[in-house]
Amino acid sequence: MERIVEHPLLKFERGEKIVFYFEDVQMQAYEGETIAAALHANGVRMLRITPKGSRPQGLFCAIGKCSSCLMEVDGKANVRTCITPVKEGMRVRTQKGRGEKSE
Amino acid sequence: MNNPDLLVLGGGPAGLCGAIEAAREGLRVLVVDEGISPGGQLVKQTHKFFGNENFYASTRGMEIAGKLLKELSLYPQVILACESSVLAVYPDGVPVLDRRSDSTYLYNPTRLLVATGASEKFLQFDNNDLPGVYGAGAVQTLMNQFGILPGKSVLMIGSGNIGLIVSYQLDQAGVEVKAILEASSRIGGYRVHADKVKRLGIPVLLNHTILKAIGEKSVNGALITALDERWRPVPGTEREMVIDTVCIAVGLTPSAELVAQAGGQLKYIPELGGYVPLHDSDMRTTIDRVFVAGDVSGIEEATTAMIEGRIAGLNIVKDIKGKCNETRLEELKETLSAFRSGPTSSKIRSGLEKMDLVTQPARYVEGEVNRSGEFRGKLRPIIECFEAIPCNPCETSCPVGAITVGENINDVPVIDYSRCTGCGVCATKCPGLAIFMYQEREDGMALVGIPYEFLPVPEKGQSVYATGRSGEVLCTARVDRVTRSANKTNIVYLTVPEELGRDVRHIHVTNREESSLICRCEEITVEQVKKAIREGYVDFEELRRYLRVSMGPCGGRTCRLNTLMILSGETGVPVEKLSPGTLRPPAIPVSFGAIERNAKVTHE
Amino acid sequence: MKNKACVTIIGGGVVGSATAYYLAKNGLTDVVLLERDYLSSGSTGRCGGGIRQQWSERMNVRLAMRSVEHFKNFEREVGLNIEYFQGGYLLLAYTEEEEALFKKNVAMQQEEGLDVVLLSREETVRKFPFMNLEGLKLSAYCPSDGHANPHLTTFGYARAAEKMGVNVLTHTDAKRVLVENGKIRTVVTDRGEIETGIVVNAAGGYSHQAGEMVGLNLPTESYRHQIFVTEPLEHILDPLVISFVNNFYIRQTGSGNFIMGQGDRDELPGLEITPTWKFLKEMSDKMPRFFPFLKDVRILRHWAGLYNMSPDAQPIIDRSNEIEDFYFAIGFSGHGFMLAPAVGEALAEWIVFGEPRSVDISNLSLQRFERGFTREKNVV
Repeated sequence: MERIVEHPLLKFERGEKIVFYFEDVQMQAYEGETIAAALHANGVRMLRITPKGSRPQGLFCAIGKCSSCLMEVDGKANVRTCITPVKEGMRVRTQKGRGEKSE
Repeated sequence: MNNPDLLVLGGGPAGLCGAIEAAREGLRVLVVDEGISPGGQLVKQTHKFFGNENFYASTRGMEIAGKLLKELSLYPQVILACESSVLAVYPDGVPVLDRRSDSTYLYNPTRLLVATGASEKFLQFDNNDLPGVYGAGAVQTLMNQFGILPGKSVLMIGSGNIGLIVSYQLDQAGVEVKAILEASSRIGGYRVHADKVKRLGIPVLLNHTILKAIGEKSVNGALITALDERWRPVPGTEREMVIDTVCIAVGLTPSAELVAQAGGQLKYIPELGGYVPLHDSDMRTTIDRVFVAGDVSGIEEATTAMIEGRIAGLNIVKDIKGKCNETRLEELKETLSAFRSGPTSSKIRSGLEKMDLVTQPARYVEGEVNRSGEFRGKLRPIIECFEAIPCNPCETSCPVGAITVGENINDVPVIDYSRCTGCGVCATKCPGLAIFMYQEREDGMALVGIPYEFLPVPEKGQSVYATGRSGEVLCTARVDRVTRSANKTNIVYLTVPEELGRDVRHIHVTNREESSLICRCEEITVEQVKKAIREGYVDFEELRRYLRVSMGPCGGRTCRLNTLMILSGETGVPVEKLSPGTLRPPAIPVSFGAIERNAKVTHE
Repeated sequence: MKNKACVTIIGGGVVGSATAYYLAKNGLTDVVLLERDYLSSGSTGRCGGGIRQQWSERMNVRLAMRSVEHFKNFEREVGLNIEYFQGGYLLLAYTEEEEALFKKNVAMQQEEGLDVVLLSREETVRKFPFMNLEGLKLSAYCPSDGHANPHLTTFGYARAAEKMGVNVLTHTDAKRVLVENGKIRTVVTDRGEIETGIVVNAAGGYSHQAGEMVGLNLPTESYRHQIFVTEPLEHILDPLVISFVNNFYIRQTGSGNFIMGQGDRDELPGLEITPTWKFLKEMSDKMPRFFPFLKDVRILRHWAGLYNMSPDAQPIIDRSNEIEDFYFAIGFSGHGFMLAPAVGEALAEWIVFGEPRSVDISNLSLQRFERGFTREKNVV
């Protein structure tokens, strides 16, 4: 789970470097990345724990069509992190079960 | 913004091309796209396209996206809105969610072009929702769009074009692809793509599948197995592979939810990926003001999607302005037809024909001398023996002398259907297993008799998968009866929908893990679905309400088709005869706040 | 398909299924239940699922209390967990007129033995701190009210009836009823004919059309009512909350989703059930004012169903004076689900024993409209 530095075909023009927090741990990301992509770049694959079977789930479709990547972002539950851009200072948490109402 | 003349749903190849055609004629166009940046799947395609140079052949997909976007940017009356989703097509407006501001806009466009693309099919195996199990699209997004590796060591499931291409791309990015598993006995994708991965040293394991993803919080291995010719795991061949990523590339299904919700008619056409909006050659759906183009209108590929988008765009111009460049429209249609005329498009052609679209006929097969169509309704043999080989048991075994090979034993058999009694002896005798029994029934179904030389022989009433000439599953079918023969060539009679009757040529029974999930959102297992069906919930809508399968945030995108397949398997009703259920707005969950923050769109 | 039956029920919603169940339970199993789509596909499966006893008419309170007894015992008696939850109903009063009406109603309901209480604004706020109760006068709270899953309730009744011998025919549309000299002979469906002597009209939104099949002009008409459901959240809301003047109801389902709706005074009678943007917009503007936490919650599915309205917004449970053995349980006016157990029971008793025994339904006769009537006020 690392960033590609050299690629035979592609050049990645990344945005500004920013910081965000996963479970209160500071992480780095680039503007323009989705939350799920940024987490992957930091080695985080488990994004939520399901309500019924307590199953860990992670990124699956990456285009906002399934429920696998729902996380708590800035206190809001059920955020589709695969299609939501990461922002400076964002606080991201693993969603355990159904979401709590936001504060 | 003002109300657009045309609202395009989806900024992929089809949507962008449709928008360009409309914009060129001065129409006001709004393109909405769910992604962070436009271009759809094109931006992830690093391979060079096939086809005709007028249609970007030999250009890489991501470069095509750039060209289309640049062309579109020349027109000031076009607006491209990313991170935006159309929620519904209501009679009183089309609300669009802007995720950036979490607010909605209500439009009343004159025409809609639905170019929403496709979503990936899900596969059932143990722990199929463990982090590290990705759809092929997700791997491409991470890797080719964001430059982030999905893992270090990948097991690819599926050897269709996408599985082959993504494997190649992973290798290019420095990720090891341990193997490509293919359940059937042949590679699904183009030969050239297969050759490409083969020469990288990636093994393609035919007749293999994954049984289980191994790991606690994330994938660190996989259990795989060999399959026999009936797609059943071969005992003793299970083995563990150390990998950290499983990539599922088992095909795509059209994202036709909004067309259905808007009232457009869908039809189940497996060759085109599932439920497809019915449309004509002008890409017009069954609803007057709604057009489709690209994968949503049937899974194909990006080149045809672009041509379809242009055809739709020109027709929209014609609708609104009363005329369009007819010469260009005809040229586009001819180009599209030419693209689809080759042997690799035969599946697409037969899919399109199922919605009464005319395609250029596939190559004429020499030696087809028998005209069984004149004897509709009669139980009779279909002889698929087109090659001149020295063989005549069909002639000599026929009790009423209806089959003639003639003096030259190399000639293909000719049958006199008026004398044939439908006894089926020829089918059990044919050494090439090239004779199938066939009868159209009055209820739209057909009886197909298949020569079958495997064990176990299915029982009467049992539900099996009916497969086509390439081993592809066409439908589930109920065994009507089995005629046992002393020479061990039994004839298994199946009832299948008549339109599939000429394609069903074999059967198999899959062995899927019962504890695997069918619905990620509501955590419903295959076993739960089967149990409910046995309790009497044999209607998809009842099943959905009883179990909540497809009631989760994904709106049934990952589970609807699989549930229908199980329902079909358990009840013996072919998928296309089942109701796919109601599709309800909104197409994507939307917050109260976003609806409240709605800007009224004013008319000019 | 069965071609002969003692009783034919038209409508596989909760009322038809409950009636079939109680007929069989009372020993009459020669019954066909006809449903033209799938079970619960009509109004039942589209409703909010609330179960309320707080009514302004005394007889309705009794009928509802009888139903609650059945809902409480449903899993044990009928054999399916229907997500029944007695989280109460909280009715909010915002005007002086409502305040007076609530006080009068609660006094009557308490006489009937209902566990309903009036809460002051402060008491309500203390009990439900996550709601914005600005401007509230008082509330009426009945903890034994609640909600259940309407699909599962229908499935439960229908499957249990089937086990006792009832023939449940889904995807079978009753097209005509043949009547000779005022007596029912045959029900004609799109899949064949059923010779029958007794017909029950439990056709919900289509009750008027079902009446026309025997030549009756039943005084019911249908109106579109829309509803939507959000993504699931952890459980927070026990009661189903209603405000009549603000025109909404909301509850949280057993699965955690919030389900809510409102009436629309601009609706015209008809059978149209396409959902509209107008509803989505009005609800999204309104609901977060009362439930501020909703503003970030996402809406998952939006649909509509039919309220089958009678002239006084109360059900019509009767048998025809003109057509022998033509029974009807219609015009539930948006409250059929919660009353179905008691109504099904009473109707079945009427058919089997010649009179309803468990509960008095005489106030729900068709003849009441000839005498003059009072409209039920507790209606969204």
